[in-house]
This record gives sequence, C-alpha cells and structure tokens, in this order.
Amino acid sequence: MSKITITHQRNKCIGCNYCVEFAPDRWVMSKRDGKATLVGGVNKKGFYTTKVSPIELDENIKAAEACPVKIIKVKEF
Amino acid sequence: MEHKFKKPATKRPVELMAPAGGFDSMMAAIQGGADSIYFGVEQLNMRARASMNFTLDDLEEVARICNENGVRSYLTLNTIIYEHDLSIMRRVVDRVKESGITAIIASDQAVIAYAFRVGVEVHISTQVNITNAETVRFYATFADVMVLSRELSMVQMKTICDTIKNENITGPSGELVEVEVFAHGALCMAVSGKCYLSLHTQNSSANRGACVQNCRRKYKVIDIEDGHELEIDNEYIMSPEDLCTIDFLDQLLDTGVKVLKIEGRGKGPEYVKTVAQCYREAIDAYYEGTYSKELGEQLKERMTEVYNRGFWGGYYLGQEMGKWTDQHGSKAKTRKVFLGNGRRYFKNIQVAEFQLETQKVKVGDRLLITGPTTGVVETVVEELHVNDEGKKEMAVKGDTFSIKLDTQIRPSDKLYKLVDAETVEA
Repeated sequence: MSKITITHQRNKCIGCNYCVEFAPDRWVMSKRDGKATLVGGVNKKGFYTTKVSPIELDENIKAAEACPVKIIKVKEF
Repeated sequence: MEHKFKKPATKRPVELMAPAGGFDSMMAAIQGGADSIYFGVEQLNMRARASMNFTLDDLEEVARICNENGVRSYLTLNTIIYEHDLSIMRRVVDRVKESGITAIIASDQAVIAYAFRVGVEVHISTQVNITNAETVRFYATFADVMVLSRELSMVQMKTICDTIKNENITGPSGELVEVEVFAHGALCMAVSGKCYLSLHTQNSSANRGACVQNCRRKYKVIDIEDGHELEIDNEYIMSPEDLCTIDFLDQLLDTGVKVLKIEGRGKGPEYVKTVAQCYREAIDAYYEGTYSKELGEQLKERMTEVYNRGFWGGYYLGQEMGKWTDQHGSKAKTRKVFLGNGRRYFKNIQVAEFQLETQKVKVGDRLLITGPTTGVVETVVEELHVNDEGKKEMAVKGDTFSIKLDTQIRPSDKLYKLVDAETVEA
C-alpha cells in the first residue's frame, strides 16, 4: 500500500495550532515548549518525518497550507 | 497574597529601554547606556518569526549579565493567548520568576493575571492600547509600568501622566504608576499593532508575532469597475516612516513619562548601540540642562547611519496624519557588508586577528565587529598585517589578517565593513 510522508521543520514552529485543528490525529501541541509536535515523527537534523496512510492526506495538506511559517511538507508516493 | 514588587533603585529619573534580539544586541544595548533591555523567547512575543529570539534556557544568563551591569531585564509575552498556549505561558512566567528576570511585558489578561498571581512583576504592553487614565487605573491593580498607545499626542500623554499624579494612581508596589512610551523605531499602519493584513494574506497573524510585514511593500489601488489604476504619489501607502523623538525629546520628557522605549528586536546590534547611545546622550543632556534642538538634530543625523525608513515625529506632535516612506527597507546611510569571523585576540599587544571569508579589507576601511559577548565595536583600519607576510595595504578573501584594537574580540564575533549605502547599490 502506498504511503504519504509528512515532514515538520520543528524549530521554526511558532505554535499557532492550525495543524492541530486540521489534523488532530497527527499533530499535538507540546506542553513543554508550546510548539506543534508531529505524532510519530522521527527527528533527523531538526526535520521530523513520518510515513502514514493516504487516508490522512487531505487533512495534512490543509495543515500544510494553513501553516503560517510553511514548515510542513506532505509528499505522496 | 503577598507581593514583593521591589524595584531596584533607578539611577536616573527616566529609564531608557533598548531592544535585545540576541546576546549581541543585548551587549550593544548595555554598551549604548540603556537602563533596561527587553527581549522575547521563541513564541508568544511580537517577534516570534525572528530567528534571533532567546530560548528559555538563556534566561539565567540574560539575568546574570543584566544584573552584573545594573540593567533591568524584561521578557515580552505580549501576544494573543489561546487555550493551547496556556501551559507554555505559565511555564515561561514561572521560569521568569526562577531566573531573576526583572519583569514580563504582557497584553493578554491571562498573562497579566497569572504573573500577578505568582508574584512576577508585570508591565502592560502597548498592544493593550492604553489611551486614557481610567484604563491606567484599571490595570494599576496588576502593574506598575504601562506602555501607552503609540497613536497618542504628547498633550494626551501629559494629561494621563498628570492624572496619575493628581489622583495618586498607584501600582502593586505602592508607587505611582510609571508611564512608558515608544521614543524611537518602526511604526505600523495599524493602531497599536492590531493588524490583520498579514493574517488575511498569508495566514500569519501579526497578533501572534508572525507579521510578515507586507504593509512595507508597494501597492497600487485599482478601480475594480473600470480597471483604472489610481495614481498615488507615494507607492508605499501603508508603510509609515520610523518614529524619532530625539529632536523634541525635551517636550516628550516634560509630559512626565518615565520610561522611553526603543523599538527594534528584529534589528542589528549596531542599530541598538547607536540609537541607545544617542538617546542616552539626549536624556542626560536634558537633565543637565544642556539639551538643545541643535543637539537633537545632530543626534538624529547620527542615527541615519543605521537602519531607518526615514524619520518623523509619529503622532506625538499631533498635526500629521501619517507619513509614509518612499522606499522599501532601510534608508541608512551606511550598510554593513559581511567580511568574516574573529579568530583570536592578543591581549598584551592589543591585536585582533580575523579570518576574511569574502570581500577585501584595505587600510582606511571602517570595520564593525559584533558578537554575543563583544557587543558592538567599531574601528578604522590603520595598519594591516596579512597572513605571516607582514604589513600590507590590503587583505583578500581567504587571508588571515590582524589589526590594532583596544577591545577584546572572540571567535564568536562577526566582522563587517561599513560602506556608504550608495556605493553598495551602485
């Protein structure tokens, strides 16, 4: 089954909460530093990435489009 | 509930507050003679987008440096707060208390109330848009210092200051509420920064510190019905020039304001140092009785060297509706060109060594060195020693060179050349 990749450049996050509103199953706000956290994301040099089912595509595209600092990327394979 | 709001004794009758976007600007503010600095940590401040913010882990270091230098430190926590921000907001306020930062600057009632509850000194941000003495009285329950709206005239400021005195409006410390105003720096087309342009066009909320500054661009006005473009003399119709009060500082201080704030957490350390120095000089002159319009003009001229969009008196003088800039970005007469980094400093012979990463350095060049510990140092090259080849007229990209310098430099320092703005553009 094909998968989609979601990437988050976390250090640039300003904690606006849009991604959580659009894709609440994939994003949570960190109580520690007030930034969004990509659920299941693996950190590689500041870029958190996870592969998920295409079912989540639409809502995460919305999250990426809404992100004011444009740090969310969604790729289809 | 017991509140221990004890302010350190003010050395001077008026406090000069300078912006610190990073350690380099903080050192620059201290060198420039500021009495206090304000800064933000990553989120929840009006410059959240700036890459230069401090982190929560820096608070102890900021407090330590400020205490050592007898400077007060204020953390800005002045954005709109949503539910999801509450836990981080409380964390930041708690950390302020632990680390010994002097106070926080807040606008959302959630922050004001929480800080007050846990006994952290709180100042009311300009984002609250205070325009009358009744509002001052309202916030006096929580705060000793309040920033007025930037859109008031000096007559209005004076009325508020007089009312505080006459009606004995006191803050939690029991002292009269101190009024703070912006003395210098960028103005915004929106009232007290309450702007939705950035949010509507880029989904990026200015009220959450993520302003993309699209008001600073050129715009045309087009009649939708017939497609005609309206001719506008000045195309930057939404970008005001910078506030500058130095040439009427006597009138501003006569109103009874107690704190003068310099805007510019997004600006470089050389801006912070120069502007702080100029206002320091003007304030001191005012209290020594030597302030004059000429001195003001002279200092204003000095500030054209660093970042500015042109100067005007804002709304303080009361007669102008708005003065818009006629170009994008800075009108500074000098620009800084990156050259390289610091290498080491030979204390005994007062020689600084640099690595030239790009460009050239010649005898006679004006150099600017900035760094987190060094702050801002300016010098003119009198003698240049290049690599191990001895005295030379010029160093080129890749060279290591050294110059005479009476201030210590460090590997964390960046080296720039100050050049005439027109030369760069040519």
